[in-house]
Amino acid sequence: MAVTQFVVNGLLVGALFAAVAVGFALIWGVVGIINLAHGELVMLGGYVTYWLVAFAGGVRSPWLVLSTVPVAVAVLYVVGYLLQRLLVTRISEADLFLTLLVTFGVSIVLQQLAIQAWSATPRTVGVAFAEPSLIVASVVVPKLKLIAFAGAIALTLALWAYLRRTRRGRAIRAVAQNPEAARLVGIDVAHTRAVTFGLSAAIAGGTGSFVAMILNIQPQMGLVYTLKSFVIVVFGGLGSIPGALVGGLLLGSVEELTAGLVGSQWTLAVSFSLLIVLLLVRPSGLFGRPIEEGE
Amino acid sequence: MAERNATAEDAGGLSRLLAASSRHAWVLLGALVVVAAALPALGLSGFYMTVVAEMFVFAVLALSWDFVGGQTGYPSFGNMAFFGFGAYTTAILLKDVGVAFPAAVLVAGPVAMAFALVIGLAVLRLRGGYFAIATLGVLLVSVQLSRNFEFTGGASGKILFDVPPELTFYYVFLAILAVETAAVLYLTRTQFGYVLNAIRDDEPRAVAMGVDTTYYKTAAWMLSALFTGWVGGAWGTFNTFIDPQTAYNLGWNVELITMALIGGAGTVAGPILGAFVLTLVIFAVNTVFPGWQLVALGLVIVATVLLLPDGIVGTVQERAAAMEYYQVSGGAAPDDTERDRAGDGGDGGGSRDREGGDPERDSEVTDP
Repeated sequence: MAVTQFVVNGLLVGALFAAVAVGFALIWGVVGIINLAHGELVMLGGYVTYWLVAFAGGVRSPWLVLSTVPVAVAVLYVVGYLLQRLLVTRISEADLFLTLLVTFGVSIVLQQLAIQAWSATPRTVGVAFAEPSLIVASVVVPKLKLIAFAGAIALTLALWAYLRRTRRGRAIRAVAQNPEAARLVGIDVAHTRAVTFGLSAAIAGGTGSFVAMILNIQPQMGLVYTLKSFVIVVFGGLGSIPGALVGGLLLGSVEELTAGLVGSQWTLAVSFSLLIVLLLVRPSGLFGRPIEEGE
Repeated sequence: MAERNATAEDAGGLSRLLAASSRHAWVLLGALVVVAAALPALGLSGFYMTVVAEMFVFAVLALSWDFVGGQTGYPSFGNMAFFGFGAYTTAILLKDVGVAFPAAVLVAGPVAMAFALVIGLAVLRLRGGYFAIATLGVLLVSVQLSRNFEFTGGASGKILFDVPPELTFYYVFLAILAVETAAVLYLTRTQFGYVLNAIRDDEPRAVAMGVDTTYYKTAAWMLSALFTGWVGGAWGTFNTFIDPQTAYNLGWNVELITMALIGGAGTVAGPILGAFVLTLVIFAVNTVFPGWQLVALGLVIVATVLLLPDGIVGTVQERAAAMEYYQVSGGAAPDDTERDRAGDGGDGGGSRDREGGDPERDSEVTDP
């Protein structure tokens, strides 16, 4: 019975990981960089929610707290857009390694600025929900986690629909496939890339706001989210949104099972060992196309 | 016209200086070591001695990283794992086993080397971003493991008592740096060094030529771990305290990569110079604006990549090579032979050849 409970917990949290990873994969696929500052965007989204709630005098009514999610999405969209326009565009032609180093540098700067602004103390936004949790077949499902789960899935699906259904989405996919050809048919590649970065940051920010509600946030949380995104993307296959979704849910379950059966201090070691094994055995991921060597 | 000649002459002097310093690299190294060794006797003490000692530590770290990251082109984001392994090995030997200080430090290197062998067999099969992130993961997992186990002292770490005086560490760090510089200087001029550069420039071709690149990559990776482990072991004792945060310092891991890049990746002098410069910058920032040194580091990284992608040594070499040609035949851009000759003259065989294949080097690979 306990195992079912761990898996359910894992799926609930895993959707958040998946939403973060989708944004990470989007940048990797379209702009061609591995953004090591992606986790910091999640952190910033969390602080937007935390800060707004604190600003509203600590009112913790569910609707108020949930209404901060669109704000976080909007704020982070702007942050992402500017990050691409002002910085990333200058380095995206460099070695992959140099882009890794620069985005790592950005992540350190954001981390340190966050420590200066909000101190290193972990924070959480308590939502005054009319518990009790739902109990389905003796499995406990906390309502708040369920809402965060639904929110994360909704963000992912919204992004997916945007990429599939809109003109701008088609432009993004065109740039991902062939920037030169996209430019020839009249797509503003620089703007499209900046929009993509904005979307990636926006979904990370929205997820960060849910993370602030159900888990906790602190300035140095970012790196772990970045690495989890990497694990998920490699797991699901680069460029596959369904793959990222499945990868996220799986990673969440594996982590909760590890935490429940072995001990929560072993989760990172287990998920990373899995990554290494997967990279060696099946480098193209479960759903993806094969990844070029040295990419 | 006169002005142009003056510039060309200066640069010609610069390139002669580089060529000379390369020919007499061993003499230069010896002289620098003697000067560094004499500094404490000349009145260097207290805070300043600590600063110089830390400059040595970072020079070892940057040079070790560069031996794989710069010479071989496998950019590791997890080198501090070897440092932490060394630090923990020495601390455990000193405190729990009761081994004497010199032996405890000596053992740290080979232990880190053995760890590198195990890790390397897995991660060195990955390339580019996958390799970088896999090594970052190794580092994070090392942090978590050292926090979880009992014999490492868990999250609270280990405090060391009865450590040798600071002057001892100054000489230990200097000795590690000197030995490593000599080893790297020697290796970059042998077939081993050429193979490493060939792996960086075009690994599939090296494999196709029958070079067992796995052997060379793993050997370079282990050698890099050996020195990192030694310096980690000595540093842990010097600090009299280690815990997961200090032994596997993530910030340092980025610092040491930045140092190699600032100085010039793929050269011998570059990482050392970069380490000296950046250590001083970080000390200065920390003194004037305490707590902002990592923000400064981030800005330095961005500035380095945008403004100085070849590093100090790489940029100076290119300038000198271009100017030498300019002076000799007055005008056009230097052709390849000229640049390669000057480039190799400058750094002792490690100039970063972005255009890929260098016929001379490849032929050395094929006939051992």
